[in-house]
Amino acid sequence: MMLNPRKDERMNFVLYWADFVRNNSDLVWGKQQKRLIDSLMQNAKYFPLNAKEYLDLKKEKHKR
Amino acid sequence: MEFIGKKIRLNKPLTELDLLVLKFIRILEKYVNYVVISGYVSILLGRTRSTEDVDIYIRYLSEDKFLELVKEIYVNDFYCLNTDNPNDMYDYLKEGLAVRFAEKGQIIPNFEVKFAKKIIDTDLFEEALEVETEAGIIKISSLERQIAFKKYYLSSVKDLEDASYVEEIARGYLNQEKIKKYKELIKILMKDDA
Repeated sequence: MMLNPRKDERMNFVLYWADFVRNNSDLVWGKQQKRLIDSLMQNAKYFPLNAKEYLDLKKEKHKR
Repeated sequence: MEFIGKKIRLNKPLTELDLLVLKFIRILEKYVNYVVISGYVSILLGRTRSTEDVDIYIRYLSEDKFLELVKEIYVNDFYCLNTDNPNDMYDYLKEGLAVRFAEKGQIIPNFEVKFAKKIIDTDLFEEALEVETEAGIIKISSLERQIAFKKYYLSSVKDLEDASYVEEIARGYLNQEKIKKYKELIKILMKDDA
């Protein structure tokens, strides 16, 4: 079986973070999560597609 | 994070995404029972990743009630990406399709809303968990169901990561028999889909 180092690296981080969440208070991990998610929400404001383009890309039905 | 029966008590500082979800579901729940499923569940519970949509299943509701719901959604500065005609939205839902709502002027994140219609969705609402946050409750699908769907049905890299994350944070709380039960149901669902 082919190994995918990037995939393994990502999964290792997921498990590392889950362990961090389990072993720290919600306030501790929550502050870090908030920083990341809030910045992603800011980026979302600059999403380059309109509704029609977005739904076409997803091959979803619309009337735009 | 505390797992207490069918409740999860979460004391994290809420993200902008969490607050947006709470704003949307406070409108939704006035008209219909809902359950949030899939990627946002793992994000609510701490995963550090982005999402472009929040998947929500709702119980079937009459067209009149749905039109009232849409009116309130629009009054609260959300819109539907698919169409501005509420009758078309309802037709899409009846067809088993999703309709997406977002804040006015935004495309993502959006709320992908669907009727829960499949046999496998029967216990979705009964098995739902309530996540208590500082700004209100968010109903999510059971973690066992969440894990089984991500591992055995969706199975993308992101889904497998979500499943592993939830398995890890909820270790000791999960009912492995339930996961097996969903796995068997998913096998049947996949045969039907094929």
